[in-house]
Amino acid sequence: MGLDVEDASLSLDHKLLHLMDQLEDLEEKREKLNSLIEEGWFSISKARYSMGNKQVSALQYASEMAPLVRVHTKVVASGEAEFQTQREEFQIAGGDDGGVTVEDIGPKEEGTTPSEGLRRRGHKKLSELEEEVSSGQQKETSHKAKAGRTDHQDPLKWFGILVPQNLKQAQSAFKQVIEHAAEIAALQSAILATRVELQRMKEKHKSSTAGVTEE
Amino acid sequence: MAGRGKLIAVIGDEDTCTGFLLGGIGELNKNRKPNFLVVEKDTSIAEIEETFKSFVTRNDIGIILINQFVAEMIRHAIDGHMESIPAVLEIPSKEHPYDASKDSILRRAKGMFSAEDFR
Repeated sequence: MGLDVEDASLSLDHKLLHLMDQLEDLEEKREKLNSLIEEGWFSISKARYSMGNKQVSALQYASEMAPLVRVHTKVVASGEAEFQTQREEFQIAGGDDGGVTVEDIGPKEEGTTPSEGLRRRGHKKLSELEEEVSSGQQKETSHKAKAGRTDHQDPLKWFGILVPQNLKQAQSAFKQVIEHAAEIAALQSAILATRVELQRMKEKHKSSTAGVTEE
Repeated sequence: MAGRGKLIAVIGDEDTCTGFLLGGIGELNKNRKPNFLVVEKDTSIAEIEETFKSFVTRNDIGIILINQFVAEMIRHAIDGHMESIPAVLEIPSKEHPYDASKDSILRRAKGMFSAEDFR
């Protein structure tokens, strides 16, 4: 009986040390995450300084956006959740036909081609209009091809064609932050699972030691 | 990896949201509901709480990133969230550095050690 209690005490100690290790790991990862976020903010501020105050704000967000990064989650038996990020690469150029096309810049509206947009309003020749009607079928097809591309537009393009290097640096810092965030989320979940396990073991240990004392 | 992954949502100040959207997490779904909330000076606590609760109930969100100073405003809602998915991560903001003692996960871990344990 005494040996059982000793074993239970040992495994309780191991679990506690494991929790401490996890907490230490979390602190390290947190520090890294915080410094990367800071780096990202500095770069955004620098970009704002060179582009102008209103040029890097929520007003520039596109009206259509699709995620370029997703996180795969899995809950294992112990209640721990695993998080793994997966990045979808946006297409820089090229349609279904494999030909090279020029990428459109700026926030895109669904179902809007540059010729329909505000940039070329008015002053259209009659011949041009007729040509557009006749090629309606073709446009529809290219619309469908473009839809895929619109979904995966590089968010950098929301802020203009020639964005400063700082904005690119901010993007790369935040990309790393996202990776770290997934790791931290997994670690947090592991810590909570260890905590529950430790509590359960403590209760068990308490009751067994109480039994030994009574004997 | 089978199936489509989940989204990462963010609730925070303008620069935090801009940064994460640059990183590629942004989505506007079919109902035009975004997976982010830019918290400004005039954003009410009720709006933040409502958004947080809607993110928690959405099954296409895997991680919620929230500025710690915003999390402080809706601490009761964050402490009440016990599920592992979506995971809630408190992050610093430009004007408020990260304070580990306020983090709900670390407070939970800390809470299990009573004075009795150290005797």
